[in-house]
Amino acid sequence: MNFFKPFLLLALFSTPAFSQDEAESEPAVATQQPPQTKEQAITAAETVKAPTALQWLQRLTHSMRTLNFDTSFVVVRNNRAEPYRWLHGISDEQELELITLLNGPRKEAIRLDDTVSYFESDKSPYSVHSNSIRAPIPAALFGDIEKLQATYNFIGVGKSRILGRPAQLVRLESKDKQRFGYWLWLDIESGLLLKVAVISRAGELLEQIQFTHLMITEKSNELLQQLTTAVLPEPLSGNKAEVKLPWQVNWLPAGFELIKSSKRNIQKVDTEVETLMFNDGLVDVSVYVLASDEAPRKATVNQTGATVLLSTLRDGYEITVVGKIPAKTANTIAESISFN
Amino acid sequence: MSENKFEAISALLDDNNVEQSLLNEVKDDDKLGDTWNRYHLIGDIMRGDSADFINTELANDIAVAIAAEPTVLAPVSRPTFTQRAKAKVIQLSKPVGQFAIAASAAGLMVLGVQQANVSDEGQIVPAQVWQPLPMGGVADPVSYNYSTQKNVANPKQAYIEHQQRLQALLSDHNMQIKLQSDVAHESDDGIPDPLSENHE
Repeated sequence: MNFFKPFLLLALFSTPAFSQDEAESEPAVATQQPPQTKEQAITAAETVKAPTALQWLQRLTHSMRTLNFDTSFVVVRNNRAEPYRWLHGISDEQELELITLLNGPRKEAIRLDDTVSYFESDKSPYSVHSNSIRAPIPAALFGDIEKLQATYNFIGVGKSRILGRPAQLVRLESKDKQRFGYWLWLDIESGLLLKVAVISRAGELLEQIQFTHLMITEKSNELLQQLTTAVLPEPLSGNKAEVKLPWQVNWLPAGFELIKSSKRNIQKVDTEVETLMFNDGLVDVSVYVLASDEAPRKATVNQTGATVLLSTLRDGYEITVVGKIPAKTANTIAESISFN
Repeated sequence: MSENKFEAISALLDDNNVEQSLLNEVKDDDKLGDTWNRYHLIGDIMRGDSADFINTELANDIAVAIAAEPTVLAPVSRPTFTQRAKAKVIQLSKPVGQFAIAASAAGLMVLGVQQANVSDEGQIVPAQVWQPLPMGGVADPVSYNYSTQKNVANPKQAYIEHQQRLQALLSDHNMQIKLQSDVAHESDDGIPDPLSENHE
């Protein structure tokens, strides 16, 4: 916190200079040498007049990890809006975080440092070893931002007013045509998120997270302090029963890595499901294959917000591709699957 | 009402000097007030600008309405019995709220079963009730709570089951995202990569 404050001041003073330098700062990836650590990123921000898009994102990660804040946001998908409250704080060197869904059945996630516990009305509570709550804020923003440069261009676009505050817009644009773009509006004062939008290649707004309230405090919230004494479920052991599946995905957009492969039974699905999960640093894609005796069926697409569900049936298998990727990409993935 | 009072009003209209007491009388006496209005109306008509005279009836109506309003005195600061009773109800209702959610879920389930039964008669297509295609998104999970039937021969039934499966896979996908631990993320090397031959 001590070294962070002068940085805030600097950010404030240097804001008028941003607009002239914006053209030069894009694409940020090409011109700026990525700093190795967060501390270096901040010293870099002090020497360079206008922070690059990458520095904005590093500052976002840093702010989300170090500030005490109490904020609310609304996730808008199609015609539905889900309101959440999000608290974060540092207490006795421990990072405390709480995200809770405010409408409908209870859905809460609590994080104490590297343990995240999820409480959902339709499941028994469970904990996972993770240093970020995975949803609905993209987990990538909490972690290794530089890694995303392999697949996304970071572009500092300009400023606007969000939540009554001056905001810097940073766009994550896919280097190929296989992904959606992420637009982030960051608070110039604190570096925190004010708005996130998922934009299709055609410029269509698919999904957005709009913050409705932001309060940054000196001390962490009283509610968070109580979490330290709460009894939380034991973290699930990371036993990854990796299996070799009798089929493979032969095409994926560049940058996607296999996260896990498994065979399991899913509630409400009669047959055993075989699944692979991939991640490009920002987006998760799951491929599900299950045996079916139904007639072959052409691909159908269901879309909720940015999440696409593409389903097709061929060779006696029903193939479903799920993820925040364009339907065309999902279809190419589904078509590339070959069975042994 | 004496004639000279009407004359006095006339004089008032013509900007002649009158006593203050007359003004007060006109103000307080309805009849004199009417006369005042009438004289003005006559004057307006004669001058030819009667079209935009102000309807003073409205002002009268408002005055009557205000007079009819009950006078509100300073509110009582001491809580009444009903307020105290309410405060107790709030305390009680907190734990009850959780049961209320369960009850509403049960209600939805019962509704769902009824829909499924109707569909067997072929009268109503249940798919239209929660049809999520093409862009409406996947319907709420609660819509899918009714019992699964093994009747795959019926294409409508097959369609419903397919949508149910999609919903289940979507929630599984979302669950798997949460289950990812960072440890697994970093140690990708240990996982056999089926793409290694073809992709890179």
